[in-house]
Amino acid sequence: MITAQNISFRVGQKTILHKLSFALRPGTLSVVLGQNGAGKSTLLKILSGEQKPSEGLVLLGQDDLHKVSTAALAHRRAVLSQQYPTALPFAAEEIVMMGRYPHFNNKPAAIDHTIVHECLDEMQVGAFARRSYQTLSGGEQQRVQMARVLAQLRDKGVQESKLLLLDEPTASMDCLHQQLCLRKAKELAGSGYCVLVILHDLNLAAQFADFILLMKHGKIIATGTPREVLRPGPIAEAYDMEVNVLDYDEYDFPILVPAAHISKPVLIRSIK
Amino acid sequence: MKPRWLTISLIVLLVVTVILACGIGAMSIAPAQVVAILLGKAGIQLPVAYDEGMANVLLQIRLPRVVMAVLIGSGLAVAGAALQGLFRNPMADPSLIGISWGASLSAVVVIVLLSSQPILRIDSVIPRYYLLNAMTFAGACLTSMLVFRLSKIGGRSSIITLLLAGIAIGTLCRALTDLVTYVANDEELRTATFWTMGSLGGASWTSVLALLPFIFIPLALLPILGKSLNVYALGENEAAYLGINVKRLKTLVIVLTTLSVGASVAVAGIIGFVGLIVPHMLRSIAGNDHRILLPHCALLGAALLTLADVVSRTLIAPAELPIGIVTAILGTPVFIALLLKQKKQLRHLAS
Repeated sequence: MITAQNISFRVGQKTILHKLSFALRPGTLSVVLGQNGAGKSTLLKILSGEQKPSEGLVLLGQDDLHKVSTAALAHRRAVLSQQYPTALPFAAEEIVMMGRYPHFNNKPAAIDHTIVHECLDEMQVGAFARRSYQTLSGGEQQRVQMARVLAQLRDKGVQESKLLLLDEPTASMDCLHQQLCLRKAKELAGSGYCVLVILHDLNLAAQFADFILLMKHGKIIATGTPREVLRPGPIAEAYDMEVNVLDYDEYDFPILVPAAHISKPVLIRSIK
Repeated sequence: MKPRWLTISLIVLLVVTVILACGIGAMSIAPAQVVAILLGKAGIQLPVAYDEGMANVLLQIRLPRVVMAVLIGSGLAVAGAALQGLFRNPMADPSLIGISWGASLSAVVVIVLLSSQPILRIDSVIPRYYLLNAMTFAGACLTSMLVFRLSKIGGRSSIITLLLAGIAIGTLCRALTDLVTYVANDEELRTATFWTMGSLGGASWTSVLALLPFIFIPLALLPILGKSLNVYALGENEAAYLGINVKRLKTLVIVLTTLSVGASVAVAGIIGFVGLIVPHMLRSIAGNDHRILLPHCALLGAALLTLADVVSRTLIAPAELPIGIVTAILGTPVFIALLLKQKKQLRHLAS
């Protein structure tokens, strides 16, 4: 369980995050939504332990997350960043093996090799295991990185109080692999991980999130289940854009479309 | 190539190079005799004939020089590979963070000051050669400390500021070196240029022993950092996410490379290209995993510098060619060939 208590983050005079408090429960997939510059990535950096909040506290279980050593933290949380160098001179499986580095000293054990191949297969990049990373396409590279992050947290047995942070994991994936990636994240949440994902696609959020944090200008303006948060009101407030919510009986999640139709071409709300 | 086979071939290459290098020179010693003399020293007698003079030349003149080439070659190559890992740039080499130029500046200053200021003639206290070594090493350490300090201004040190500070301080040291050589007289100029072009001519068992710890400690410790350097390629934050203490990694790599490069420049002047080309060759053969790259660099760097030294002392014998010139002239074509081959491979993979 991750608990954020009144966290604020300031750079110079500028307040990036303003007194955020929330709890992420194990077994749930939480999605952070908000405009560009709303503070989503900064929030993720604080939850990852990379940045210390200017005020407030993040608890990982009972421990202050920012007091846990880097080495110990590597066993308990993994982070998928938005961008990686594209010209990494390693084979795909070597990259995924790096996720196992916290688990062995100098030589990987048999179990590490097994896990690496499991994770490659789960992200459907097993066929590229020996290919050089730099020759892969953007989406394939992203899947390799996702496989690495999966490998880092895999520990047969203990699965509780593990934190998986994904910053726009689906950004350059095609629609099939977007589904695959988020389904994997959801499955890990189901097995007891605490998963936090930053997304831009409202429909992916609607489909996969158990819990949504909607942010604007460094504040949380709405939290709750997809049905509670993904309504025209909160979305218009967060994005300055009108949406219509379609509900079909065949789907157990709302579907959001821009509020533009034949008779109504304007979809950008006039900015106050 | 399988790493294990590469390791074995590199060891064989190094042993063969060392034996051949010991035999080549004004007094030619056959490889069998070299082996016999060396083993004889260790107490194992082989049925090969050699005379005492031959053994003396080998043990007192050739061997220290070959051992020095082995030490410096491995030290420079490993330092180059580690710095390339730290800067995430295959073009990085020790001169990039100013170490070599800082070292050469202090060497040249000492050379000119000692011969132009009679008051400073302290040859009676310490032999000039050792003073020069000590000052050069101090120069290397000072520059590297200054560069590292500069990169930390305003909180966290970033690799880009480290690089820029290194280039700036390096350029300044280079300009000051040029300034000092500009005012130097002919004799000083000769010594100074020889220093900036590198030579193993000063090798003796004393200098080898003095050099040994400075090469050996980085050689033993840098490969342990291999895993961290691999992860570092993903990015600084990503390395931290995987449990690497990034600050400690940076400090260790800088300190260890400064030790070996500083000590090498102190005894043999600037020897370029080894730190650049050896890691590059091995990367293209056996990949970028620093855990195996770093030990391999030590082996190949040692073999290549030993070879370069043989060329430098035999090509215009009895005179000697500065070894820095040899490594650059031999190194450039190899380097360009590698670049072309790599480009071809990439095109092949892309299609």
